[in-house]
Amino acid sequence: MISPLLRRLLLAGVCTGASVSLAQAQADPIKFGKIDEADLTPKNFAADSAAAAVVLADFGRSRFEYNDGDFKVVFERVTRIKILKKAGYDYATVEVPLYHRAGSEEKISSLKGMTYNLVNGQVVKEKLNSDAMFREETTPNITTRKFTLPNVRVGSVVEYTYVVTSPFTFNFQDWTFQRDIPVRWSEYRAAIPEYFDYKMLMQGYEPLEVQERNEGVTQYNITWSSSMEYGRRSSGGAQVVTPRVTNHRWAMKNVPALRAEPYMTTTADYEAKIDFELAGIKWPDEPYTAVANSWEKIDRELLNSDNFGGQLSRPAFLKEQMTALLAQHTEPAARVAAIHDLVRRSVKHNGSNSLYASGSVRRAYDQKTGSAADVNLLLIAALREAGLQANPVVLSTRNHGRLETNVPLVSRFNYVLAHVALPDGKSMLVDATEELAPCGMLPPRCLNGVGRLLLPQEGASHWIELKPADRLLSYQQINLTVDEKGGVSGKVHQEHAGYLGLAQREKLRKLGEKKYVEEMAAGHEGWNIPKYAFKEQTALHRPLTLEFEFASAGGEAPVGTIYLSPLRDFGTEKNPFLHEDRRFPVDFGASLDETLLVNVTLPAGYELEETPKAMAMELPEGGGRFTYAVQPGAGTVQIMSRMSLARPVYSAEEYAYLREFFARMMAKQSERLVLKKKG
Amino acid sequence: MRTFLSLLLAGTGCLLLPTAPAWAYGPAPKYAVADLPAPLRENAHAVIRRQEEALLVKSVGRTVETTRRAVTILDEVGARWASELVYYSSLNTISYFRGAVYDAAGRQLRQLRSQDIHDISLSDGFSLATDARGRVADLSQPTYPYTVEFEYEVVSDNPLFYSTWRPQPVEQLAVEQASFKVTMPAGMALRYQEQHLPAGTAQAKRTQGSQEVYEWQVHDLAAREEEADAPPVAELTPTVFTAPAEFEVQGHAGHLSSWADLSRWTYDLNAGRDELPPAIKAGIAALVQGETDERAKIRKVYHFLQANTRYISVQLGLGGWQTFPASSVAANGYGDCKALTNYCKALLGAAGIKAHAALVKAGSDEQDVLTSFPSSQFNHVVLCVPLAQSARPDTVWLECTSQTNPFGYMGGFTGNRHALLLLPEGGKLIPTPRYGAAENRRERLANVFLDVNGDATATLRTLRTGLEYDGVSGLPGLELAEQKKRISNRLALPNFTLNKVAFKHSGPEAAVPSLTENLALTMPALAPPSGKRVFITPNLLSRMAPPQATVGERQTDLWLDHAFTQQDTVVLHLPASLRPEQLPAPVQLTTPFGTYSSQLLTLPDGSIRYVRRLVMPRTRFARTDYPAYLEFRRKVSAADKAQLVLLKTDA
Repeated sequence: MISPLLRRLLLAGVCTGASVSLAQAQADPIKFGKIDEADLTPKNFAADSAAAAVVLADFGRSRFEYNDGDFKVVFERVTRIKILKKAGYDYATVEVPLYHRAGSEEKISSLKGMTYNLVNGQVVKEKLNSDAMFREETTPNITTRKFTLPNVRVGSVVEYTYVVTSPFTFNFQDWTFQRDIPVRWSEYRAAIPEYFDYKMLMQGYEPLEVQERNEGVTQYNITWSSSMEYGRRSSGGAQVVTPRVTNHRWAMKNVPALRAEPYMTTTADYEAKIDFELAGIKWPDEPYTAVANSWEKIDRELLNSDNFGGQLSRPAFLKEQMTALLAQHTEPAARVAAIHDLVRRSVKHNGSNSLYASGSVRRAYDQKTGSAADVNLLLIAALREAGLQANPVVLSTRNHGRLETNVPLVSRFNYVLAHVALPDGKSMLVDATEELAPCGMLPPRCLNGVGRLLLPQEGASHWIELKPADRLLSYQQINLTVDEKGGVSGKVHQEHAGYLGLAQREKLRKLGEKKYVEEMAAGHEGWNIPKYAFKEQTALHRPLTLEFEFASAGGEAPVGTIYLSPLRDFGTEKNPFLHEDRRFPVDFGASLDETLLVNVTLPAGYELEETPKAMAMELPEGGGRFTYAVQPGAGTVQIMSRMSLARPVYSAEEYAYLREFFARMMAKQSERLVLKKKG
Repeated sequence: MRTFLSLLLAGTGCLLLPTAPAWAYGPAPKYAVADLPAPLRENAHAVIRRQEEALLVKSVGRTVETTRRAVTILDEVGARWASELVYYSSLNTISYFRGAVYDAAGRQLRQLRSQDIHDISLSDGFSLATDARGRVADLSQPTYPYTVEFEYEVVSDNPLFYSTWRPQPVEQLAVEQASFKVTMPAGMALRYQEQHLPAGTAQAKRTQGSQEVYEWQVHDLAAREEEADAPPVAELTPTVFTAPAEFEVQGHAGHLSSWADLSRWTYDLNAGRDELPPAIKAGIAALVQGETDERAKIRKVYHFLQANTRYISVQLGLGGWQTFPASSVAANGYGDCKALTNYCKALLGAAGIKAHAALVKAGSDEQDVLTSFPSSQFNHVVLCVPLAQSARPDTVWLECTSQTNPFGYMGGFTGNRHALLLLPEGGKLIPTPRYGAAENRRERLANVFLDVNGDATATLRTLRTGLEYDGVSGLPGLELAEQKKRISNRLALPNFTLNKVAFKHSGPEAAVPSLTENLALTMPALAPPSGKRVFITPNLLSRMAPPQATVGERQTDLWLDHAFTQQDTVVLHLPASLRPEQLPAPVQLTTPFGTYSSQLLTLPDGSIRYVRRLVMPRTRFARTDYPAYLEFRRKVSAADKAQLVLLKTDA
């Protein structure tokens, strides 16, 4: 039963939507056009001398207005930036993306800009002109407004303000406090009437300076025209509603610039930010309507969606191929592998990640190309067709950011793959988007915490860990023969497995055998590779194997003492952690294991002068281990070097240990063997 | 420094008269992979089965380019040919864009439908506004081989550019059959130049009604492979350049049979746009008042430009070619390369100095323009200021889009090539500044203090000039953390900590700009003792890896396009308990490819000095000289990694 007021809210034809907040407002941190002259004096920026520019203040405010029959979110922003270097000129050019869909659009208005310069001790103001504003159709759903401010110089202050009015209440304006330049003050206010219930998610590594909320009352004037309804004529009218409103205020002070570090998921996971997601709507005299307030509901909605659950029904178009395949393979695990192979060969992943099928999986099959959802939903459907218990696992990829399980938001998922329960009680995760990954390997982009396994039984869906079944694995066995001139010839057996196998297969596909070997040899001084052979290129579940021989010439004449660095060309070349400090965790995605086994055959009549010491070291709390041992024999020496990092993720606090671990290992691996002529 | 994009985007692609596509009559198998001759598959990721490009010149003001291309994709790398991007803008319209994909047997799998074609903005990331857009379609398949066919037509109202036909533009691409046809209306001549056409592929010309038709064909071109230190494949494969003799863009008509013609037309298009507001004029007059030296005057004006303007690119329609007036730059403080160059020219005019804009093909990897074929080959404009008072002919070149570029420096972006002077009477091509081995220097002094445990500290002072400076010129402007990151990535040391980073720029008087970088670092376990010995390679940072030996016979010329001089001095300060067991012998190599020397010397205080010098000129050699070049590089590499052995005297 729709209440009379709600009906009016929905049906009103002509409305004037003035909203008046009755709450006492906090003074605005900045007002457009009211600049502090001190911001134009260089001495106030000594502390920021390294930055290209600094945000003096960024102030945003969102509220609801009612007009044209709908509530709209009105977002106002004023931003003031000090340009400190020529490299900071780019901050005087601004882009505002505006979303539109099915006749509804976000609109920008009241765009104003100003540049302030100090000229001969006087503040000179120059306005942003309309000929410096442009519009670009960026994607079918996004139009970008771009503008640039005039007469920007080192020392200028630029300022702009605009209003974005959005009919998409599900998409309440988020706020990012942190940028790639320092921010002195960033403040966001949101006035949310009682009708709307938003989940708010705060993330990042920076503290809030202000976090306030107070209750007030706001007022909407609603008018509506007459209409015909249920055969009855209803007259036009007007009404004033005065819902309660919650006024939120968040601010951060002196926020440092955010910088990317190696081995990170995405900087978006680390920036100081507040996100909103519409959880429910509560109209006057109506029960609360949850929009997406539980994972169980999201589970159901996904499974009932045409573009998700609707794609999991039996794929009749695969029937012929499936029949043959099922006749050939009877073991469940073998069937999974065969179906994985069939889907991978039938539909090429076009590189895009997605949660929903872009059209239908049938269409993707016909086109032979599709998104990750197209490929993997087809995979699940085919696995089910084979009588296997296959279900979707939804997740967020590393680039898409961390998944917060305590906040039920469907927008946090951007990917789907298959979970298969095998009869022996075991289960596996299967993804068919990677041409070169074996069945059962999670693509590296999916190694991001947890995913949600969606099961058809009510309430059975649950979280599962996206634990990599594979490691970054390398194994090298090297036989070196040294001659009296110090020349070395070698036979190398090299294996890359797990995620390293995938990476090397991708590289091999890209370069081809010859260039792969050339590139490998180019990293080693004086190597000449007369022979090489790749093995197991297509046996994806086995290590990619490369066997090659190389020769490196010695001197002109025999020498009495030969100095050899047998591991130099095979170990770690450069410490991956050269920077002294680290702010964010080190995230490798998977654990790592690297083994080097070297057999050295000495020239006849030579002996090892001294045996290098063995070594074993460990990272704290079993985080990793390095062992090194030398075993002299008759005319031979055997060296074993093994390094393993047990965990996929190390905290920022553990960084110093990790850095030192690599440094010590590399020092050990660079130790020389001294071979001396006997007698 | 940036270029104006519109020029880059124009003049791509071309092709055939719009006839009904073959597939309209039913999908008879075509392009079966079995029909492909084996030699064409060798070393190829993709094979162009049939390519027909046609340029139909309708009038001086309009051209129609038609392309039809069928490509068999043999592997994943070749799949770049499975998608197609067709450019358009306010001056270029796409009349149609079709496609189809065939399996290995040549059976049609499907045709491109309108919903498979996406319209995208080709915003380049630096332009504030551009009208460059594209339609893009992807026909990739999950298994190889397969064949894609694309057909499209672009009508252009910008006939300053005619097609360049280059059927084999990249390596590892074979061509079965390709043709190029140009149809000219009565009374209009085609200008063209051919390069590397296989023997016997003459151009055929015939008359068709009132039109003249020119045709070229090539077939069975085996895939090529790029070789080290060689010109790019595109420079070595069959190419036909074409250009109009007369044209008209948006009411601006021109002739083009010489560089002077193009110069005059471009000059006229931009003439009369250099009027400055009186206040700026007066300001410039005051700025240079009392300055008698011509070069110093120009420098003052250039620094005024750099302090008061910035680069903002707006490329819409004719705006891709015609400058905004100087008054607009004066009011807004920004402009693109044309506008800023025009503005700087006007500023110099106000200082009583005559300057000329000059068109150039900019980019650090760009080859020079084809000097023998006058046509629009440029994407950028700089300012050329002849010194009137100089005793001998001298010129100052100004890059007007950069706020930080050193005065008078062209660098790797516009140096070492030709530029077209824009003059009312028609200008000519003149060389931009040369940067050779004498100008491009890297001089390094390292003091390394080794302790008994093999740990070390070091100070490094590195001077970079000329093109060596280009790569580091932006470093001083970065934040310290970013500076450290970039320096660490570049230093060829396995493990170290950077303790100090400092920079010093050359003074404004330097003929070629330079930057001195001062570093202090600790290097744990640089040379850990192995028993009673310590090993260290004195050439700490400048080891040059040898080139990979070529498999089979060298196919192309040796082209060493980057000249440089490297001078390294490393002083090793040793603890008292270490003395050298043996010093590697000095090396001296003098060849046409370059000269090299390295030597070690024990100094009176017991420290050891290593000096290395390598000079590589900019040269081109016949392919038969390649083995000798390899030998030189191998010897350099061997000398570079020579090892110093130190003996523990207390062991």
